[in-house]
Amino acid sequence: MAGPDIDAATTTIVAEAPPDSKTRRYDRQLRLWAASGQNALESSRLLVISGTATSTSVLKNLVLPGIGHFTILDPAKVTPEDAGNNFFLEGPSSIGKFRAEEAVRLLGELNDGVEGKADLRSLEEVLEKDKDWLTEFTIVIAHNLEAGLLERLSALLWEDESFPPLVVVRSAGFLAEFYIQFHEHAVIESHSETASSLRIDKPFPALLDYSASLDFENMDVTDHGHIPYVYILVRVLEEWKKSHNGNPPSSYDEKKEFKKIIVGMKKKIDEENFDEAEAQAYRCWTSSTVPSEIRALFQDPKVKSLTPKSAPFFHLVAALAKFTEEQPPNTLPLTSTLPDMKASTNSYISLQKLYKARAEEEKTLFKSYLTVPVDDATIDAFVKNAHALKLLRGKRWGALDKNPSALVAAVESAPKQLSIHLSLSALSSLSTKQQPNAPLTVTVEALVAEAQALLPAGTDLPENFAEAVGEIVRAPTADLPNTAALLGGMVAQEVIKMITKQYIPIDGSCLIDLIETWTGVF
Amino acid sequence: MSTLSLPNDASATVDWPGRYYHIDQILNTPGPRTDPAFLAGDGVKGFLRNEAKILVIGAGGLGCEILANLALTGFKDIHVIDMDTIDISNLNRQFLFRPKDVGQPKATVAAEFIMKRVPGVKVTPYFGKIQDKDDDYYMQFNLVICGLDSVEARRWMNATLVNLVDPENPESLKPMIDGGTEGFKGQARVILPTITSCYECSLDMLNKPTAFPICTIANTPRLPEHCIEWASVLEWPRVHGDKKMDTDDPEHIGWLYKVAAARAQDFKIEGVTWSLTQGVVKNIIPAIASTNAIIAAACCNEAFKIATSSAAYLNNYFMLIGTDGVYSYTFEHERRLDCPVCGGEALEIVIAPDFTVEQMIEMLVEKQDIQIKKPSLSTPTKQIYLQAPPQLEEATRPNLEKKVSELVPPGGEITVTASTLPFSLSLRVTYSL
Repeated sequence: MAGPDIDAATTTIVAEAPPDSKTRRYDRQLRLWAASGQNALESSRLLVISGTATSTSVLKNLVLPGIGHFTILDPAKVTPEDAGNNFFLEGPSSIGKFRAEEAVRLLGELNDGVEGKADLRSLEEVLEKDKDWLTEFTIVIAHNLEAGLLERLSALLWEDESFPPLVVVRSAGFLAEFYIQFHEHAVIESHSETASSLRIDKPFPALLDYSASLDFENMDVTDHGHIPYVYILVRVLEEWKKSHNGNPPSSYDEKKEFKKIIVGMKKKIDEENFDEAEAQAYRCWTSSTVPSEIRALFQDPKVKSLTPKSAPFFHLVAALAKFTEEQPPNTLPLTSTLPDMKASTNSYISLQKLYKARAEEEKTLFKSYLTVPVDDATIDAFVKNAHALKLLRGKRWGALDKNPSALVAAVESAPKQLSIHLSLSALSSLSTKQQPNAPLTVTVEALVAEAQALLPAGTDLPENFAEAVGEIVRAPTADLPNTAALLGGMVAQEVIKMITKQYIPIDGSCLIDLIETWTGVF
Repeated sequence: MSTLSLPNDASATVDWPGRYYHIDQILNTPGPRTDPAFLAGDGVKGFLRNEAKILVIGAGGLGCEILANLALTGFKDIHVIDMDTIDISNLNRQFLFRPKDVGQPKATVAAEFIMKRVPGVKVTPYFGKIQDKDDDYYMQFNLVICGLDSVEARRWMNATLVNLVDPENPESLKPMIDGGTEGFKGQARVILPTITSCYECSLDMLNKPTAFPICTIANTPRLPEHCIEWASVLEWPRVHGDKKMDTDDPEHIGWLYKVAAARAQDFKIEGVTWSLTQGVVKNIIPAIASTNAIIAAACCNEAFKIATSSAAYLNNYFMLIGTDGVYSYTFEHERRLDCPVCGGEALEIVIAPDFTVEQMIEMLVEKQDIQIKKPSLSTPTKQIYLQAPPQLEEATRPNLEKKVSELVPPGGEITVTASTLPFSLSLRVTYSL
């Protein structure tokens, strides 16, 4: 798997000057994944198997944001049917030409910076003669692949952890499914909407000292109305603790009383900083601790059996585990990100400086627990996102189908998801059994039999199954433009998250029903 | 295979055999959930391909996707309105445009591209505002799809389509399908004017735009954004007088950036960059191809289902969040009986007896379910305050300081209008003790 090469960074955002034309072109997406995400995209190499309408829709949404390279593997020539539903073919004039070549040519027009290649071999041939080639891509995407070939491809790509993730995409008419097969996916920049703790309940010495030194009583009225709420809360909490055996407010009445103290400190009725302090008072009794999800990461086998060769992520997590265990107050390292609050410029900036200085100290301490060199940018990002790290462990494609108890559970817990999954699987196994070049005959009875065979003996089909299977019978080979476009967007979105290692990709299968305009995951 | 004719000749028969192989699987047979009224076969195909006339509002991020999807689905008479020209920052997602098109009208370039790529489809562009068109214009369409980035334009379109409904004439009910995106998030909805919840009904679901108090900007800046607002809101008019700020002009952005950066340095605030300056003054919303593709596809799928009855359509709201896995929520948004556009009932408001007209105007601008910029107020018998024309504004200005209770009796009605909105809002005022 070709990893992102940070040194090959080409997109840099220069703060002082007007942006160059590339930065201007990518402005709206750089605001989502920044130069680091863009560099990862630009270093990626994608393989897409078959040039269907769905495949080209996926590629369109990856070529536009600027992946490095894509190959379409497809020996087929454009049929009149293809020419009718694929925007990246030129109508009747493409008929009879190689589908991969036409699609690469027309997708290439979307972005000069992307390299596209048509490979006219069949997947069967590649699997037999050149399978290593398949493992050299960043991600492999396959749409409506024949069940036997899909099985061989997914087995191959599962063989080694370093092999590329496989995105399996299946669709018929209004129904669709996609799944990402990957071993492991670690995310530092998850872009969580939860902010990290300000640690008001466990103030660091400089913050505590400064809050204690403030002379609220004799302060100038204007200054009093501009004390940041952080100081107010730290001060009131410390005094509260002195008279409550060192405990923060816990009961409803205590919390009410605590808020009353804050409001009672106002010198004027319209002091918004005290209103803010009252609204933020929950921070005093919400204990700053290591979130359980992060604590669980500390127990991960890869963290427990760390070697110098382990990926940096696991070294960072191991260091974090030690840091939180040994360094008081046994919390995650402080971050310097401060929300805006009612304050004068000076009081806000000096508060910001206190947090920055402390965050730097804790970061230095954190670094001392690292046993391998990790670059500063990664450490910065890690510390900043320590409260929202994510480690996903994937499964092989088809794992659910081989797990009888999970299937039985899904009949009850996710009947809609399972119905779509089963009916697409039934279609796939039915197609495999029929003659390759004969027209496909699909009946409800045949699909029900196939689906029933996929479930453990004696298990009833899920309640929505008839609806799903009826749609499959109606349109077994329809790659509808709207379904293709929607899948194109969703699959590309997940692929971007996988490549950039930012935001959180799906964990499992995503099922889509475009009759009810519904999606579900399981 | 049939012969090709000029792409913009709507009567051309370029439907080569097999062209609609995929779509026709849906149109030839009903599915288990299809309404019994669905007439599978040639009738529905004929309507879709020869009769249906569809209007697309916006030829930007969503619009480009919508046009391509509609064309491939078989709509052949498509109209598109957009008032913008192409900018380089559109090219990361608006896939019908190329670098050579920068500066050209979006509607025209998009229409030409679709006609070139999908034979036999006629796309009629209009480079201008939706407000330029009258009721007769909107009456000619079967469906309207909106891919807009402006709340104001959506409100206008929504109110126009609600006003168009004539109970005597079923044809006057034009379904409005509305899509919107922001980063990895988006929504698609189906509005049947006067029947389902309308855009105005859901106004309170919108996020409140970030507004910084002027005193913070002027006196106590803390964030880089405060410095940028200072440069654009206070310094620009002070230094440049009446000269209008053009946020697309790099020289103007450059000036704002320098002024903001200097102020930030004075106050020891970090983080003013060119990119942030541009983001704040243009109110830039992050946008990517993939989210637009998802939402546009959902919208077009609804258009296809409504036009063909081949499957039930969305009732009535689809919301997507793609930042953490794929989370979506499909639900029915309820109508508001006091909706100023489709509700008919006056909105009840309770104010203090000493509330002034000026305070009331402020409240109307701020209130999440009203959000009327520059409202004019009147009662059935007198004008309270009018924003225009200048003579009337001057004549009614003294009322701003008066108490509402001096001008309107308890339980009395106030009509609120604004030049940007094609409807008026009725308020029934009562006074708290």
